[in-house]
Amino acid sequence: MKKILLIEDDQALSLLYEEELNKEGYSLAIVHDADSALEQVKKEKFDLIITDIRMPGKDGIELIANVMGLRKDIPIIINTAYQSYKDDFMTWAADAYIIKSSSLDELKSKIKELIGT
Amino acid sequence: MIERYSLQPGNFGGDTPKEFVLLSIIAQSFFQPFSLEDNLLVILTALTAGSGIGFNRAMLFLRDGTKLKATTWLGPRSPEEAEAIWTMLSSPGIGYAEVVAYNRDLVTRMVKDIQPKLKLFIYDLESKSLSLPALAAFKKEIILVTEARSEPLVDPDFINFIQVDSFLCLPLIAQEEVLGEIVVDKGITHAPIEARDIELARLCALLAGNYIYTTNLYKKVVEMEKMAALGEMAAFVSHQLRNPIVAIGGFTQQMLSSPCQPERCHRNLNIILEQVKHLEDIIYKLSHFLKITIRELQPVDVQSILPNLVERPDIKIKAAKKTISLKMSENLPLILCDPVYFEEAVVNILDNALDVTPEGGKVYLRARPYNNKYVLIIIKDSGPGLDEKSHDKLFSPFYTTKENGTGLGLLFVKRIIDICDGKMEVQSKSGSGTMFKLYFKVQERRLS
Repeated sequence: MKKILLIEDDQALSLLYEEELNKEGYSLAIVHDADSALEQVKKEKFDLIITDIRMPGKDGIELIANVMGLRKDIPIIINTAYQSYKDDFMTWAADAYIIKSSSLDELKSKIKELIGT
Repeated sequence: MIERYSLQPGNFGGDTPKEFVLLSIIAQSFFQPFSLEDNLLVILTALTAGSGIGFNRAMLFLRDGTKLKATTWLGPRSPEEAEAIWTMLSSPGIGYAEVVAYNRDLVTRMVKDIQPKLKLFIYDLESKSLSLPALAAFKKEIILVTEARSEPLVDPDFINFIQVDSFLCLPLIAQEEVLGEIVVDKGITHAPIEARDIELARLCALLAGNYIYTTNLYKKVVEMEKMAALGEMAAFVSHQLRNPIVAIGGFTQQMLSSPCQPERCHRNLNIILEQVKHLEDIIYKLSHFLKITIRELQPVDVQSILPNLVERPDIKIKAAKKTISLKMSENLPLILCDPVYFEEAVVNILDNALDVTPEGGKVYLRARPYNNKYVLIIIKDSGPGLDEKSHDKLFSPFYTTKENGTGLGLLFVKRIIDICDGKMEVQSKSGSGTMFKLYFKVQERRLS
């Protein structure tokens, strides 16, 4: 089973993503901030990381830079409410930039494209 | 040995040429709270004060789009009045403030007779048959008119109004842009307009043009700041609303896409309800935030507000198992703010401080005078402090570290302090708590 690390500080959304992605056959580890995410990355091998940008403490952009220092090969999806960060060159390092939407179709198909099922 | 001098232009000695006295009064306007109207009045006075620069009367035109509109006319009505103004201006100790006060009075007295007629003088700068005085602004040239009644370029209505044969047109220009025009004459003394008069008038026109230019620029900056705040607000709102909306949509879709177990349905509906409540909260706070307007600042008694504030039930509940230590200097002066908004600003920060202070911890609330100009309110928590990043983001509209925070609280406080012309500082180190310093302006004691 493919393992995804989700960084999302909104509780309701974490639950939604967990249930919906479990349904697609992925297992999820969920953390609420970048520092916990980095700890997880050091401990476990993930197939994919999904992260928000704005969150308490370190932001998603910093997280991406740190993850790339640790594990270059993990694909990363940015899933955020902000359109504006798309112009930030650091977000280009991510494999996809998705604007949060109540339809998870785009997110699901991007995951499938990057790591299969 | 050193000698110290004030930056402010002062009074010259008794034998100083009158032009110097007048220019010094004009220069004092740079040290006044900015008022275009007053500054222009002072210039018009300098130009028209009989024995000063030498003219008697001045008419000010300001540009409005393509139109040049007469707005003010200043001048004594008789040689006696001219003499009285000049006597007033030459008395010792007369400065900017006195000139402004005197002229406001003079202008108000004249408004009734003259203002309605003044309004008739509107010239379109794009008109092909432009006459004097407006032609000078259009040409960007200082034009001296003599024998005005037989000069075909002069507007006959204008001559009928000012009733003189000779006048000088001074376009007001800054950065090559025509901003207005001043027309001066010697309608009282009927002396000829000489080269020296023109030189001095040119200087005054230059200053007037720059005053108008600066004012326009200032208005533009204020407008731009408003637009930027609006854009920030739009980004903030869309982000704040998106998370709850995505959750509501997502959980609804979950219920629709597959047969829903009763417990699952019930849980989803509860989540949706919670999200709707959160949305309501955001909208409530947002409308509250946008509504902040303080029409008039009033004296606020910090000394009586703070003790009541820490006894408020909402604060008491939050402060259970924590201590609020309140100390105030005796005889705190009154500040200028709004009592309700002042209290809300302090509560907002106190609320945050209580949130981050662990059980058994202390929150310090202090009030003391600062610099004779401010009352300083200090709120210090015993929380973990801010790392550099959080410190930087503290006042970003969407920044929050709370689970259900809206990220509006501190912005709200800042807005109130801005309105009250105060300032705010934050000091924090990771591990040693955060200290907010709010400076509120003291109500100045008026000299009677």
